[in-house]
Amino acid sequence: MTRGHRTFHRLLWPVLALIVALGFTTALVKRPPPDPPADSAPKTRVDVLLPEPK
Amino acid sequence: MSAGFSAVQWNRRKLIYDGILIAGVVLFIGTFMTLGALRNPPTDAPAWIGLRIKAFGTCAFVMLTIILTIGPLARLSPRFLPLLYNRRHFGVLTFLVALVHAWSVVDWFSVQGAMDDLMNEMVASPGYGKFIGFPIKALGLAGLSILFLLAATSHDFWLAFLTPRIWKALHMALYVAYGVLVMHVALGVMQEDRRIFIPILLGGSFALVALLHIAAAWREREAAQEHDGWLVVGPPDSIPDKAARIVTAPDGERIAVFRDGNQIGALTNVCAHQNGPIGEGCIVNGLVTCPWHGYEYRLEDGCAPPPFTEKLATYRVRLRDGIVEVDPNALPLGTQAAIRIG
Repeated sequence: MTRGHRTFHRLLWPVLALIVALGFTTALVKRPPPDPPADSAPKTRVDVLLPEPK
Repeated sequence: MSAGFSAVQWNRRKLIYDGILIAGVVLFIGTFMTLGALRNPPTDAPAWIGLRIKAFGTCAFVMLTIILTIGPLARLSPRFLPLLYNRRHFGVLTFLVALVHAWSVVDWFSVQGAMDDLMNEMVASPGYGKFIGFPIKALGLAGLSILFLLAATSHDFWLAFLTPRIWKALHMALYVAYGVLVMHVALGVMQEDRRIFIPILLGGSFALVALLHIAAAWREREAAQEHDGWLVVGPPDSIPDKAARIVTAPDGERIAVFRDGNQIGALTNVCAHQNGPIGEGCIVNGLVTCPWHGYEYRLEDGCAPPPFTEKLATYRVRLRDGIVEVDPNALPLGTQAAIRIG
C-alpha cells in the first residue's frame, strides 16, 4: 500500500461513515412519533368538563 | 499459492466453521419466525411472507455487522483470528440470506397480484426526490448488487485473476454496501415500526462497527522511536521467538520484525495474498506464516518457497548497543536482509 493509497483510505472511510451517521440521525429525527398508549387517549369534552366520580 | 490455480481445499476447520455458521442462521431465522408468529399470528399468505421478509432481512443485516467487526477484532486480539479464517464463506452465506429476503419481497407483491406497484416504486417513484419516502427497495437492490459482486468474486480464482491489490480494493465495497443497507433499514422499517429498539439496534450496530475500526486504527497509529533515521525495536528478547513485533514508520507503514532463534529479519506487514497482517502470524517450519490464509515466506529474503512466487519487501536490520533497529526504507522485493545475532 503506497502513501497515496493510505491517505485516500484515511479520507474516504471517515467521510462515508459521517454521511451514513448523518443520514441515520436525520432519519431518526424525522421519524414519526410513536402511537400514544391506549389508556392515555385524549378525554372527550364531556369527560373534561365533568368532575371525577368520588 | 500463485504457482497455479487450485480448487478450494476443504479441511476439518472449514467444515466446522461452515457448520456453525449454517446452524446459527437456521437457529436465528427459526427463532425469529416462531416468536413473530406467536406474538402476532399471520392470518394469510402475505402476512407469512412479511414475517419471512423481516426474519431474513434482520439475519442478513446482523451477519453483515458481524463480518465487519471480525477484521478489527482480529487486529485488536489474536483470539478472534479463527473467525477470520473462513470469512469469505460467511460473506457468501450473507448474500444468500439477503437474496432470500429480496426474493420474499418480490413474492409478497406477486401473491397479491401487485407486481406493477413494485415496478412503479422502483422506476417511477416520486420519492426519489425526497429523503423520508425515498424508495428503500432501490437501496436494498443496490446493497444486494454489491453483495452479489463480492460473493461472485470471492473465490481464489478471482483473487489470482484480478491480482490481490484490485481484489482487495473491490472487496472494500462491502463498507459501501453496509452504509447503503443501514439507510435501507433507517428509511424503511425504522420509519414504519415506531418501537424504540429498532433505532437502538441499528444505530448500535453501526456505532459498534465504526468504533471497533477506530480502536484498531488508533492502536496502530503510534510511530516507533527513531535513532539516526532507524526505528528502535528493542532488545532481541523483546521480540517473541518465532513471532514478530510490529513497528510503525513515521509515514504510517507497518513493519513486522521477526525473530527465529538468533535470526532477526524485517518484512512489510502486508501479506502479498490479501493484504493480511503478516506480523500477527508466526514462524512455522522455518517460514513466516500469514495468520489469515497461511501464505508462507522466508524470513531472510521475504520470498515464498518454490514453486510459489510471492515476494514481500524486506527492510535492513541492525543490532546497535544490544538494541534491534530497522531501517524504515523498504528494500526491493525479495532482497536478502535478515541478520544473525550472538
